[in-house]
Amino acid sequence: MNGPMVAFACLAGLTLYSAWRVATAPQVTHAALFLAATFAGVAGLFFLLQADFLAAVQLLLYAGAVMTVVIFAIMLSEMREVESDARGWRSLLLSPRLGIVPLVGGVGLAAILLSAYHRAAPSWPLSPLPAAPDSTRFIAHALFHAYALPFEVASVLLLAAMIGAIILTRTEGGAKG
Amino acid sequence: MNGMSLGYVLVRSVILIVLLMSAFAYFMVMERKVIGYFQLRWGPVRVGPWGLLQPLADALKMLAKEDAQPLAADGLVFHVAPALTLFVALAAFAVIPLGPALHIGGFLLPLSIANPSTGLLFVLAVASLGVYGISLGGWASQSKYALLGSLRASAQMVSYELALGMAVISAVVLGGSLSLPRLVAQQSLHTWAFIPDILGFVIFVICSVAETNRAPFDLAEAEGELVAGFHTEYSGFRFASFVMAEYINMFTLSALGALLFLGGWNGPFGLGPSVWWLLTKMALYLFLFIWIRVTFPRIRYDRLMQFGWKVLVPIGFLNLIWISVFVVGGGWR
Repeated sequence: MNGPMVAFACLAGLTLYSAWRVATAPQVTHAALFLAATFAGVAGLFFLLQADFLAAVQLLLYAGAVMTVVIFAIMLSEMREVESDARGWRSLLLSPRLGIVPLVGGVGLAAILLSAYHRAAPSWPLSPLPAAPDSTRFIAHALFHAYALPFEVASVLLLAAMIGAIILTRTEGGAKG
Repeated sequence: MNGMSLGYVLVRSVILIVLLMSAFAYFMVMERKVIGYFQLRWGPVRVGPWGLLQPLADALKMLAKEDAQPLAADGLVFHVAPALTLFVALAAFAVIPLGPALHIGGFLLPLSIANPSTGLLFVLAVASLGVYGISLGGWASQSKYALLGSLRASAQMVSYELALGMAVISAVVLGGSLSLPRLVAQQSLHTWAFIPDILGFVIFVICSVAETNRAPFDLAEAEGELVAGFHTEYSGFRFASFVMAEYINMFTLSALGALLFLGGWNGPFGLGPSVWWLLTKMALYLFLFIWIRVTFPRIRYDRLMQFGWKVLVPIGFLNLIWISVFVVGGGWR
């Protein structure tokens, strides 16, 4: 076992365990914390793959911004505990949160993703980029040259969402701020 | 990887943590002394010569205190929050380079734990996680004062992060890299970045005070209204972790300010690079933190948010445009 292998095992374990706890934690705040840990674990895996930029953005956007909004929403609502739906083995097996259905769904989704990856694998560059440690430049080039139009379309979508939020929270009759 | 074993990294991490902790302890003494002199008092003088053993006494007192926890508190989150805050503060410092790598008898000693090509982005990303500890700590205490304090603190940190980002991006555009050593190298080739980018530097200083929730931006712990804000219910070592995290965040931001705008480890007047230059600049920057703290009274909360969104962010944008024009029109290159 060398350093990267140990790091990979720790990070993968952390990610899987906290992803499992997101679904099973009885308290919403705990689930949010575990979701944050999942995001951080994925960022660590990106770091291990030497995708510095992706890792930093994963931390900044998902673990930072998205989770802050989630935690704010939880703090400002009265939501604390999820109703326990597990009374006895029968209801535990049939529960939509802990039972058979999410297990089958999860395993099925993983199988689909793996098979899709295997189909696409030949066209996927498996060897690491030769001597291109500056992944930021690479991503910026792709984003602002080849994929400039999709990038702009995504920002229009965000703008529409922002305008929607403003309309939803606007008080009737245009109260003065 | 790169001939650096996990053990070597661990050893350097432990050394860095010990250094940061002792720097924290003695910065506290310095702060109390300086504030004392500003207010025509002596500051701590009783424990040891010139009060130099004060941090030991403080640490002993903190450790000996009862570890109280409110009955209604959420156990797990209440315990995780201070640890998370401290961890995030320490992790952000890991990619801060204190100087060029040292060669001691053929033995390579890099002066940072890791040096990713996107080091600056990593610092910002990790620092943005600091909000968690504060908002969760306040929430888990299940007390009105703590909750209000944590809401204020997190809203303030999220708002000022934007203006801070604007100032940092202007330095990145100027230097053309996200790697901290490369930004310093750029400044050694040309001038220090604050000369064309003085607005960015001023915004960075203001935002770094706001990001660490210190006076005059310490609305989150306004004693008169909120008792002590988000850490009202904490005591003993958990309280100390919050304080420690605040001071280590100050070290990180002062190092970042020195690296981005003040030429990093390059000496003034063409003097050669050295770790001591960076440490001197950090010390001056930290002194500025204290100076601001003793000079200005606390700002009202709505004014604070207005100042952040309606003054700093627009000026940050304008400054970014000016720096882009400067770079495109020849500038440094």
